[in-house]
Amino acid sequence: MDTATLLLVTILLPLAGAVALWPVAALGTRAVRWTALAVTLATLLLTVLVIWDFYPDHVASTEREWTWLGAGEQIQFGIGLDGISVWLFALSALLMVTAVLVSWEAIDDQVPQFYALLLLLECGCLGVFAARDLIMFYVFFEFTLIPLYFLIGIWGSEDRKYAASKFFLFTLAGSLLTFLGLLSIVWWKAAYVAGGELTFSIAELAAAVQQAAGTPRAMSPGFQAVLFAALFAGFAIKVPLFPLHTWLPLAHVQAPTAGSVFLAGILLKLGSYGFVRFCLPLLPDATYLFAPWILWIAVIGILYGALIALAQHDLKRLIAYSSVSHLGYCLLGVFALNPLGLQGGTLQMVNHGLSTGGLFALVGMLYERYHTRDIQQLSGLARQVPRLAFFMLVFTLSSIGLPGLNGFVGEFLVLLAMFQRAWQEPLPGWGLHLKAISVLAVFGVVLGAWYMLWLVQRVFFGPLKHPSGGHDGAPPRDLAPREILALAPLAVVMVWIGVAPNFFLRPMDGPLREVEAAVARPLQEGLQNREPVAEKRPQTGLENLTRAR
Amino acid sequence: MDDPIRLLLILIPALPLAAAVLIGLLGPRVLRQQSHWLAIAAVLASFLCSLLLMRELSFLQRAAGAGGEVALGIGYEEVRRLWTWTDVADAYQQPRTPPGESRESLVGGGSRDFRIDIVLRADSLTCMMLVMVTLIATLVAIYSAGYMHGDPGYWRFFAYFGLFVFSMTMLVSVSNFVLLYVFWEAVGLCSYLLIGFWYQKPAAAAAGKKAFLVNRVGDFGFALGVFLIWTTYGTLNFHDSLRGGELEPARIQQAVAAERAGEVVPAEQEPVAGVFGPLRLADNELRPAGQPRTSAMISLAICLLLLLGACGKSAQFPLHVWLPDAMEGPTPVSALIHAATMVTAGIYMIARCTPLFLVSPDAQLVVSVVGGFTALLAALIALTQYDLKRVLAYSTVSQLGYMFLALGVGSLAGVTAGMFHLFTHAFFKALLFLGAGSVMHAMGNVIDMRRFGGLRRVMPVTYITFAVGCLALAGVFPLAGFWSKDAVLGAVHDKVHELEPHDSDSHGPAPHGPAPHGPAPHDSSPHGSAEGGGTQAVERPESSADDDVTPVFGLSNLLRGQIFHWLYLLGLMTSFLTAFYTFRAFYLTFHGPELIPPEAGRHAHESPASMTVPLGILAVCSALVGLLLDRSYLDGTNSFANWLLWTPSLGFPAAMRTTLPGEFHLSVAGWSTLMALGGIGLSSYLYLGSRHEIHGIRQFFDLAWVSGWSDVESFARMRQWRVARWVRECSAAVGLEWLLRLVVGALLLVVLVLSAPLLLLYYVSPYKLSYHRFYLDELYELVLVRPLRGLARLCYGIDRWLIDGTVNFVGRVPRQIGDVMRSLQMGLVPFYALAMVLGLLILLAVQLLG
Repeated sequence: MDTATLLLVTILLPLAGAVALWPVAALGTRAVRWTALAVTLATLLLTVLVIWDFYPDHVASTEREWTWLGAGEQIQFGIGLDGISVWLFALSALLMVTAVLVSWEAIDDQVPQFYALLLLLECGCLGVFAARDLIMFYVFFEFTLIPLYFLIGIWGSEDRKYAASKFFLFTLAGSLLTFLGLLSIVWWKAAYVAGGELTFSIAELAAAVQQAAGTPRAMSPGFQAVLFAALFAGFAIKVPLFPLHTWLPLAHVQAPTAGSVFLAGILLKLGSYGFVRFCLPLLPDATYLFAPWILWIAVIGILYGALIALAQHDLKRLIAYSSVSHLGYCLLGVFALNPLGLQGGTLQMVNHGLSTGGLFALVGMLYERYHTRDIQQLSGLARQVPRLAFFMLVFTLSSIGLPGLNGFVGEFLVLLAMFQRAWQEPLPGWGLHLKAISVLAVFGVVLGAWYMLWLVQRVFFGPLKHPSGGHDGAPPRDLAPREILALAPLAVVMVWIGVAPNFFLRPMDGPLREVEAAVARPLQEGLQNREPVAEKRPQTGLENLTRAR
Repeated sequence: MDDPIRLLLILIPALPLAAAVLIGLLGPRVLRQQSHWLAIAAVLASFLCSLLLMRELSFLQRAAGAGGEVALGIGYEEVRRLWTWTDVADAYQQPRTPPGESRESLVGGGSRDFRIDIVLRADSLTCMMLVMVTLIATLVAIYSAGYMHGDPGYWRFFAYFGLFVFSMTMLVSVSNFVLLYVFWEAVGLCSYLLIGFWYQKPAAAAAGKKAFLVNRVGDFGFALGVFLIWTTYGTLNFHDSLRGGELEPARIQQAVAAERAGEVVPAEQEPVAGVFGPLRLADNELRPAGQPRTSAMISLAICLLLLLGACGKSAQFPLHVWLPDAMEGPTPVSALIHAATMVTAGIYMIARCTPLFLVSPDAQLVVSVVGGFTALLAALIALTQYDLKRVLAYSTVSQLGYMFLALGVGSLAGVTAGMFHLFTHAFFKALLFLGAGSVMHAMGNVIDMRRFGGLRRVMPVTYITFAVGCLALAGVFPLAGFWSKDAVLGAVHDKVHELEPHDSDSHGPAPHGPAPHGPAPHDSSPHGSAEGGGTQAVERPESSADDDVTPVFGLSNLLRGQIFHWLYLLGLMTSFLTAFYTFRAFYLTFHGPELIPPEAGRHAHESPASMTVPLGILAVCSALVGLLLDRSYLDGTNSFANWLLWTPSLGFPAAMRTTLPGEFHLSVAGWSTLMALGGIGLSSYLYLGSRHEIHGIRQFFDLAWVSGWSDVESFARMRQWRVARWVRECSAAVGLEWLLRLVVGALLLVVLVLSAPLLLLYYVSPYKLSYHRFYLDELYELVLVRPLRGLARLCYGIDRWLIDGTVNFVGRVPRQIGDVMRSLQMGLVPFYALAMVLGLLILLAVQLLG
């Protein structure tokens, strides 16, 4: 079987699994759980095989395109992995195993449906990262919403309906705009670029943008700005960027553990992934134009999220706000627009998925044992559940960027990139802003350590205190082997990335360099001319459009 | 393996790491109370490896010096690459250098990779640190086996211990700023884990968190400094290399020669000049490119940011507040991490970065001022503490301040003096801490000196060894502290002379010490250039390093000389205070009437051999290490300092033109000895005999008389005086009560206004300031922690009400519209018919009228 077929099988396997749960449900919940676990493990195994074939840079071998919609050969259906998506793809497969394992005892109600939805979610996420064309990307992008909507709405906590609909409406509203934006790019390509045929392939569109750059056929800055805003709407909500983040804490708090794990681990990455995949290569001029603004928003989000996390007493909400803070670093890296930043930002997406996904899993385990998420009601748990405390410490340290673990690598690269952007090649007119942004971003690291260590100190250290003492007065048991199995792989990967990050960075290098090359042109022009790009091409987007017609 | 240096460099950190992992895996089930064997064996082996490495290196150095293989005056280093950590190709574009700048070719034309290899290095500085760290760690490990005996977390302790030794040895042997930062944080993590070792104690858990956070503030500066170094120099390596990672010096020389000759070399072969590599240091190319002033600003910024990092790790003002709290950890940890090794990481880092500091005299001044001020501040606090370990903790802060003071002098004499003090301090401070631990062990974990006393008969070994430690710390001839403290004060003293007008007028300040005879043969050594003889390694006008740089602060040499003069006096003052508080603690603990707290149980006794033997070894070291290593009294060279000069960061030409170590300063030694003896004498007078004076002295410094004088109650009592009553009655009789009240009120007001400063003085009396640690913790709580927490709550409020409120409002708009529309859908068919008809009519009307 060639790699592309293997990839297709990997994506479809969870779907098949979800269908297969239907008959299995008759055998009882135990069988359902084991089947779900088997499917996710098989998916993980296949993912490893795919990466094995793929590593380090055989992009072409994983690509495959199928003609779709029969109408000529324009609309195609393509899957494939490259360095940008490969680790997120792998992370989805890995985290789903964790998600299945942490739901083992927590979900007693409508078990087959629950696992079926989880598997559908996995299929959606794998699909998004493997998509090579816009239609497929968008279909999977939206498809991830539906299972999660039901997961939150059915198995969530007391306020689940509100949280689910808010999450759904919020993200749907944004992604519709994104879809319009993406379609406009397709339409532009079909209308303006030589060859003129309709294509949805991301690579072809990017190539067309590159090819048209500097010619009158290129998208005008105004047109790009409008499209950027449309794309931004969907992705920024997904990330989520300040001030569009309010759905996130709510959704996290109400979601079942597996939902939180997957939401934090994978779904939030769709936003930042979207920025790297679409905004930078397809709309380079607008990216260049908006980069300082987005950097400001990102750094405000970093500090704002961290400060709010500092004021939380709900474990889940604290970690949710920490996500707002941490994802700011991803965006900072991406919009530093240099190789260090892009690599750091992309790696940071994976890092955040590992650490925050792990933290949510742990909080779920704590909740199963103590039936509270209130930090003030808990203290000194390290004595009762030392293994849980150990994992909590490791994931916390990863989250606050302790060297030797994964978080450090991403943060360091991102901040280094920001410094390079600010001191060496500042965007004209933004020098001081960029310097302020970089220094503030480094300060965010201090705040990050503060709230996370406060959390650990309050909950795990000090004299023992907890509200219930378990179900029947017996002390809650420490982590079971099943739970260790859910957490240990995450910890292992954390150490792996921390000690030998180059293994993970190497495949990113090629594709990210292409992305960087796309934005390099407006950047160079901007740096050399020190004049607004708009002045060189006076016609606005609308004029451009009408003239061409 | 055929490369002993590589093997040793790997083994030294790997053995403790292996021990830590093994203990972590086997500890809870298999090893339990036997965990210490593994740790002790690993650390001891690591120590032996360090000694071997030092020997190996010394041979190589001697060979290099004799054969002249290395560029002279550049020092000697051995670097070994293990694996590539990250490699982002073409990450850095060399900025366009102004025309006429020749350095472009070497410092990398065009693009550079962000390539971080795991490279271990061996040079004098590293070796010295390795030997010190592993030796102290071995002794502390043996001691801990006795001290921690029976603790439920026994295996956990030794696992953390191994992890710490691994991190610390890596910290001093890595050859890159990123990895330095990595292990800088890693030792911080170990410190966090070990301070909070008894995590059930809220104070311990809080202290661990505080240590981590305060260090994070320092690391904030360190990280910024590293980023600036990257943007300024385009590399973070200490050593030179080729772009492909090749480290062989001969190959690098070849590549440089090729590059200079203008040949086109493949990208893999391009030389990359490390920050402290020979290529850069040979011409002292550490000034950033650009206008002199900009370049001076950048140098200063880098140095100050690095200093902030060092202040965090080495507990200097204003980030010193975590170290005393760190005493909540087990005492062996305090001895190893918070006295001898980890806290010296900041000193090590600044010493390593000497070339950076040499191009920024302003930064040097700041280092010295911070150090001198901290030394005094901490010594003042130590005067009044009653917790034995806290006295020692403040003493550590104070002594680290000494080291900073020396480093900031900005001459090789200063740097080597600082490192020498670091080395000797490690022994006697570890000794003192372990002694305090021994006391604590016997006293049932009581550490308040008011609750025990007169222990000299109960614990004779601890008593004697502690006395040796106290004498060494006080700087009494001929113990270790005497030599190193003399070196520090001597270096500052020399700086004062160097900056005096008559010296700076002359053509380049001549080094004050005679050139050392150590590393290289005399005639071919760059040291010789200071004497005007020998071959000159570089052709550059003879000038002090200071002349090359533009000062940012714009202080004249005269003023700087005066500042250093004050710092010198401050140092003498501190040595007086040091002797005083050291012996105060000593007398309170071991002399006076025997007093044993009930927690100690029936039979308080001397500690077991596993604890007293390390004490004995450390005492011998504390007594002799200065005498054996200084040797300036014999042949005029400090052999320790001379060996240290082999370090590339210290041996480059510009540094060689600063004051070299060597001379033994008899007058300085005399003064400091006088101060130490004075301190000991005063302490003996107050605390050795009958202690009734103490109360008086304390009251005097506590301004107790102010409180007596301005007591409000005394005013109340005055109302009862006969005269007062008589006046009151008289005035009542003539109906002038109002006048009386007015007068008395006015008088009271005047008295209050006059006494307000005094009252204020009472509340911040010298005694109280010292006892409450100058209220710095409270100040930070008030100025930083509370406002940030408040801001956090404010942000949360904004988030919930404003931002989420807006979102919900926007979300509600469609629903409102929908509600309006829904009200139209009432399901009445006639209504719909009516609506249809109306609509048709309107359309018709439009058609007709339009």
